[in-house]
Amino acid sequence: MEEFDKDTLIQLARLCRINCTDKELEILLKNLQSILGYMDQLREVNTENVPVCNHVSEAIESFMREDEPSASLDPETFLKNSPSRVGRMVRVPTVIKF
Amino acid sequence: MTVSYEEWEPVIGLEVHAQLKTRSKIFASSPNRFGDEPNTNIEINDTGQPGALPVLNKEAVDLAIRFGCGVHAKVATFSKFDRKSYFYPDSPRNFQITQFDMPIIIGGEIVADVEGKTKTFPLHHAHLEDDAGMLKHFSDFAGVDYNRAGVPLLEIVSEPCMFSPKDAVAYATTLRAILEYLGVSDCNMEEGSMRIDTNVSVRPKGDKTLRNKVEIKNLNSFAHMEMGIEAEIRRQIQAYSKRPHEDPRLVVPSATVRLDIDKKETILMRSKEEAKDYRYFPEPDLPPIILTTDYIEKIRKDLPELPHERFKRYTEKLKLSAYNASILVNDKSLSDYFEEALKFSSHAGALCNWITVEFVGRFKDSEIDLTTSGILPEHIAKLVTFIDNKKITGRIGKEVADVMVQKPGKDPEIIIKENPNFQAVHDTSAIEPFVDEVLSAHPQSVEDFRNGKDKAFNFLVGQVMKLSQGKASPDVVKELLIKKMLPGK
Amino acid sequence: MYKKTASQLHQAFLEGNLTASEIASGFLQRIQFLDEEVKAFLNVFADRVMEKAEKLDGKRAAGQPLGKLAGIPIAIKDNIQVRGEITTCASKFLSNYVAPFDATAIRLIEEEDGLIIGKTNLDEFAMGSSTEHSAYQITKNPWNLSYAPGGSSGGSAACVSARLAPISLGSDTGGSIRQPAAFTGTVGFKPTYGRISRYGLVAFGSSLDQIGPFANSVKDIALMMEVMGKPCDRDATNIKKTSEPYLDHLEGSIQGKKVGVPWGFLEGLSKKERSIFEKNLEVFKQAGAQIVDIDLSLLKYSIPTYYILSTAEASTNLARFDGIRYGKRSEKARTLDEIYDMSREEGFGAEVKQRILLGTFVLSSGYQDAYYKKAQKVRSLIIQEYKKGFEKCDIVAMPTTPTPAFEIGGIQDPLEMYLQDLYTVSANLAGLPAISLPTGKDEEDLPHALQLLGPQMDDGKVLHFAYQFEKTLKLTGFIPPLFDKETPS
Repeated sequence: MEEFDKDTLIQLARLCRINCTDKELEILLKNLQSILGYMDQLREVNTENVPVCNHVSEAIESFMREDEPSASLDPETFLKNSPSRVGRMVRVPTVIKF
Repeated sequence: MTVSYEEWEPVIGLEVHAQLKTRSKIFASSPNRFGDEPNTNIEINDTGQPGALPVLNKEAVDLAIRFGCGVHAKVATFSKFDRKSYFYPDSPRNFQITQFDMPIIIGGEIVADVEGKTKTFPLHHAHLEDDAGMLKHFSDFAGVDYNRAGVPLLEIVSEPCMFSPKDAVAYATTLRAILEYLGVSDCNMEEGSMRIDTNVSVRPKGDKTLRNKVEIKNLNSFAHMEMGIEAEIRRQIQAYSKRPHEDPRLVVPSATVRLDIDKKETILMRSKEEAKDYRYFPEPDLPPIILTTDYIEKIRKDLPELPHERFKRYTEKLKLSAYNASILVNDKSLSDYFEEALKFSSHAGALCNWITVEFVGRFKDSEIDLTTSGILPEHIAKLVTFIDNKKITGRIGKEVADVMVQKPGKDPEIIIKENPNFQAVHDTSAIEPFVDEVLSAHPQSVEDFRNGKDKAFNFLVGQVMKLSQGKASPDVVKELLIKKMLPGK
Repeated sequence: MYKKTASQLHQAFLEGNLTASEIASGFLQRIQFLDEEVKAFLNVFADRVMEKAEKLDGKRAAGQPLGKLAGIPIAIKDNIQVRGEITTCASKFLSNYVAPFDATAIRLIEEEDGLIIGKTNLDEFAMGSSTEHSAYQITKNPWNLSYAPGGSSGGSAACVSARLAPISLGSDTGGSIRQPAAFTGTVGFKPTYGRISRYGLVAFGSSLDQIGPFANSVKDIALMMEVMGKPCDRDATNIKKTSEPYLDHLEGSIQGKKVGVPWGFLEGLSKKERSIFEKNLEVFKQAGAQIVDIDLSLLKYSIPTYYILSTAEASTNLARFDGIRYGKRSEKARTLDEIYDMSREEGFGAEVKQRILLGTFVLSSGYQDAYYKKAQKVRSLIIQEYKKGFEKCDIVAMPTTPTPAFEIGGIQDPLEMYLQDLYTVSANLAGLPAISLPTGKDEEDLPHALQLLGPQMDDGKVLHFAYQFEKTLKLTGFIPPLFDKETPS
């Protein structure tokens, strides 16, 4: 796929937070170009007026649960897996939110 | 450079995020509560654990339907959820579950009173989504609390249909009242259960096209919203006026700003060129919301009374003034308090006055308000009844009110019984000396009254009341005065 | 004992011929001696399983009722949460992550007294077809240790193949149970989408994933399906009716029934594979069924469709692995951005990175219509294609894979690896139940297999046909020679 070049890949990597070394980028570029080229064969399929399939199961229509609160997960169980904590919160470096 | 504001028309749209009053979160069953210790209202889904799955809370859907019915919108019989991807620590999964292109509520309108005029503000849509957690900032780090992550939000988007800051405030006030009346949201801006993002653009008067809009974020009160909108309108008009021959899209680019409260100015946060690609796509873990018209109608039939319905009832049936009716209607807890009091006295006008002026006034500088003070609505109704029945005078009533405020919950009947000063004196023999004294002190007024001047009579009554320190029964005073001034009649 | 099927072990336990402790320790011993060669296990729960086995023996001695899986050791693919144990998903990201909850499938197994014996190896985050992408170890094919066992559930397949446990659980998104079953000469079943709850299965392709069992007999598969095919309120995509009793429907002739074969789609098969396939179809004829030709030519587009949809979903499902709440946080990271970038850089292997990039691309603005939305439409067409096919037949038969197992390191080109899934992905796209059955071995002593698919919800029918095929084929003593031995006690 011609449009998929190194710049596209770098932008993409930024978008999904996948940092790569230059060497990795080279390999990825080659692989992704090849894979996307293969994907392009979908253009051959006539999908005019064909609906998208969002949910494959015929047996599931709609499902909702009653508004019953459950007991909370124990904070210690949750925080046990945290790489860094402050008090009962997960600790992160300062952020400026927009 | 002269800036001519009258040549410009502001165009404003509001996006309101209202937290829904459910007991559990929208996609997780953890409790939906404010103010608890960090990370004590969490479970597998709202902390984004691997293997977690969202399941939709029926009550969130019901509340959204209620809202849609309350604003005469279309409730979609088929709507779906989408994933919105972005990385941020307050997001447990780094994607939000929202409704991108098929929301549950479509259209609708808010009818509000703006400085005496009734205006209709159309809505674009309202959709369901989950809230993010909260960051607490310290010196050079922050702590993340996921209690709020997953709380149900209803995002209500208006059309760009407001043309002044007053329009926006009226819209927001009415919207808040509707949400409260329907029991959909607490709308507490301090607690964050109601958050408003404002979009402002400006165009030459008469133009039909819309220019670039600027988003004002983090306005946490209606007063700030009004200030922010005014500041942003000014900023945009000044910019356009300074560079009248340039492409307007370059003069005022799309951006996000915040309000500097001290300077009363809007400050740029980021430009919209860095627009994010959220890569919306249908949420595979949630089947669509499918509703029958029967289901929607059932909710519509059971709708509680809406603010404008209550306003109508207050002005038409109870004959309150529009002003007084607004004061009550726009504060649901006060209005509910008034409704409760109405069960015990039908004198709506007096009740309204005592509640909204006398009692609310007594709590003006206090941290608590009347509705949470412990004073029973029934007791205020009693007070009004006592005055109506002339058991006490209005002036005594005020003193009783003072005691009721000091001792919340105390029955005014008991207060009056305990304090002889509050009991109107009906004893003719006690009042007569006062009447005699007044009559002899004001012979001109007596003469005027005998010549048909009613004003003189009121003056004389007033003088007797003064002498008796307000304790004399007004009826007895009047009777005595007439008897003495017009004997034989 | 290792030659017994799970059902036989269960029977032996119930009758008192074997204690649960004997069974558990017997298999633990096999694992201890033989898994060094296979490297199927990432984690063995020696203490936990012995404790549970002893408790179970106590239950039996006390005459208490015993579950359907009592006495059966079961290995679990390490992308399924078992509370209190580490779940790695074969990734460096989660090397220390302790599961805070049980997957529903685990809970159901333990409610029926199944003995969970350990966690097995997989391709990292279930992305792969050879288990070579595990960050920890490479699992070998018990039939030939230089060969791959297939993937992504290679550990679970190899473990059952080498008789290190009679049953294991895997997950199948595009063939990750069936393909390794074919390569290792075991029975592997992917249920109808939604039949088994996905709660607790670390998500890869949410609309495609299903948990499924590996075993050495169809009866064992049916037993596991009865236990796990239950409604779950924590998964909104799960079928809310309990499955029928599959064990009761295994018997019964398939005389006159129609087995559909998409000859057109299978044109690319090598001569050797085609002749093996035809020989397998003879078995059906022997059992009285007819072979009919059906047209599934659209399936040639199933690989691009599958890889677009699965990587798109995966790119968002794996966004939660960010070093913030759990998992590896890079020690070098100082800022928030560095935490995201470095943790994911260090935590993810190359295949995972590639798929996330691919998935992000097909969802990104400007490309979503041409890729993601297009694939969703082709998916609808594939579903219709199968529906049409099933009008002409009861069951569809195909090879599971285009070739038998390949050497470890034998496939380097990613596309070539993806094409391994050519015959398996369409069952996930259409949500159909599908099974892979061992049918013998070729001249190189590598197993070959047959795949059967049925319409949605017809898991029972697939199991029925599979059982009849197995019964007719009479493939006995099909154990890899290297592991067909007792271990020293």
